[in-house]
Amino acid sequence: MNACKRYMRLYRVLAAQFFKTVMQSKVDFLMGLFGFFFTQIMGIAFLYLVFDQIPSLQGWTLDQLIFIYGFAQIPRGIDHLLTDNIWLVAWRLVLNGDFDRYMLRPMNIFFQIIAEKLQPDALGELLVGAILVVRSLAKGIVTVDAAHVVLFFVSVMAGALIYTSIKLFFAALAFWLKTSGPFLQVAYQMSDFAKYPTEIYAKGVRFLITWVIPFAFVAYLPASFFLKSGAGAGVIGFEWVIAIVFWCIAYYVFNRGIRVYESAGN
Amino acid sequence: MIEVKNISKDFVSPKKYPGLKGAVKGLFSNEKVVKTAVDDISFSIRKGEIVGYIGSNGAGKSTTIKMMTGILTPTKGTCRVAGINPNQNRKENAKNIGVVFGQRTQLWWDLPLGESFTILKEIYDVPAEDFSARMDFLNDVLELQDFIDRPVRTLSLGQRMRADLGAALLHNPKVLYLDEPTIGLDLVVKDNIRRAIKQINEKYQTTVILTTHDIGDIEELCSRIIIIDEGKLIYDGSLANLKDTYGNKRKISMEIRQPWKLKELHLEETFGVGEDGCSTEFIEETNSFCVTFDKHRIQVPQVLSAVMEVTEVKDVQIQETELAQIVKEIYNHGTAEGR
Repeated sequence: MNACKRYMRLYRVLAAQFFKTVMQSKVDFLMGLFGFFFTQIMGIAFLYLVFDQIPSLQGWTLDQLIFIYGFAQIPRGIDHLLTDNIWLVAWRLVLNGDFDRYMLRPMNIFFQIIAEKLQPDALGELLVGAILVVRSLAKGIVTVDAAHVVLFFVSVMAGALIYTSIKLFFAALAFWLKTSGPFLQVAYQMSDFAKYPTEIYAKGVRFLITWVIPFAFVAYLPASFFLKSGAGAGVIGFEWVIAIVFWCIAYYVFNRGIRVYESAGN
Repeated sequence: MIEVKNISKDFVSPKKYPGLKGAVKGLFSNEKVVKTAVDDISFSIRKGEIVGYIGSNGAGKSTTIKMMTGILTPTKGTCRVAGINPNQNRKENAKNIGVVFGQRTQLWWDLPLGESFTILKEIYDVPAEDFSARMDFLNDVLELQDFIDRPVRTLSLGQRMRADLGAALLHNPKVLYLDEPTIGLDLVVKDNIRRAIKQINEKYQTTVILTTHDIGDIEELCSRIIIIDEGKLIYDGSLANLKDTYGNKRKISMEIRQPWKLKELHLEETFGVGEDGCSTEFIEETNSFCVTFDKHRIQVPQVLSAVMEVTEVKDVQIQETELAQIVKEIYNHGTAEGR
């Protein structure tokens, strides 16, 4: 319990330093804000443009597709906001030896990595996700009762954990490969498939995004539970099982990786 | 305080072949190259010692330090720092040590220096009163107050090094590792840093292990030195002992008038010693004739009179071997007997 409190305090301290750093260059910060709003507006416009052309897809209506798309943005945004620094491990921290500094401090290493950076760009994803979910509520295509509301948050958390696990697993390969950025990039882009019902894909792809890199469990499968006449609540439980299994694998591989970490010469 | 037992570290990398063809071949071959960076090293260091850990580039100094700090896992052997195995108990070990890598900063690059200290206070759980007392002390020896409000990235190298040293000491570590702490610094700053290290060692009994290429660091700070070469320990002992064992050479340079007469000179035979007892060298541009000899077996006047018998001498210089010379010789030799 004490350790937990200590880490929460440390997180505040480290996150605060991150914001101070960001605020030091106000121009950069404002440009960043402008950039991500612009990207998201374009994203929404594109979405409507595409869905305008497809009235329905394999029995899914446009409104349902928009809900799945929006729902998928939320766990993605949460993970993006909190753990973006994992990318740096994959691309360069292991390669150039900067990973050393995590090894020298008396804190959990994974904690140090994620506490070092927050990614404000993710607010765009969260915003779009929230808007599209609210829109779906207004359309009345989503079941709303106490159980569904609670499970919504439970599912979003599991989804974010799946994202984090996949990122951590591929980033950890850097300990053996020196840099694993390209692999992580490919794996992460698979999540784009999960924004749509998996039934529209070929069997191979469906298998891949359900069981190997389980992005289907982040978005489409739980989203179908919230849609009226959708799947049962069991899918959320299964999402958590997947999340925990993948987290354990990723964290184990990450810790094995630390043992073979070779640092870099001066 | 530190026990290192038969520690070794191998780096395994895939075998590389030259050229584009080679790159493709390397992709499909499974051959590995094993490089032993540290080879079966043992030593132990007592509390409060300042130990110079020296060796040429790539000798394995940094690798050893990284194993002691818990960054690298040894391939073989064990290491204990203040009773803790840094690999099995990294976090506990991290509380006991302070580290300064000369070419890398641990500070928050974009924040004012003072902020870094506040963050470190939280990370290491330093109580408020200890914090202010220690900051006062660090300010005193490192003069941090001049630039405490400036972002770290705007500091000069000397200031940054002082700041890094301060940051490594904030939690009063039992062991301080310094990897080339004076690299690239001017003489005044070097002096300051050395004085600070000494004061800290005296006040807190901090054990200090320092790698360096600067002989000045060693002469001023270290009572004991450990030399490694190609991953092997080749000397572990006091500085005085090293000088005694290896500093027995003397060198005389003479500017002479009749260089052609040197042929008549056979110093080795005259003194009845082998090449290790006496060697000569002639530099044509300056007409200098240099004789390097064992000072325990041959006296300076003997050399002078022998040379003056064959040629006139215009000028004479006598040099004791310096530590730098000794170290250079040991690096070249590869092994030393004074273990």
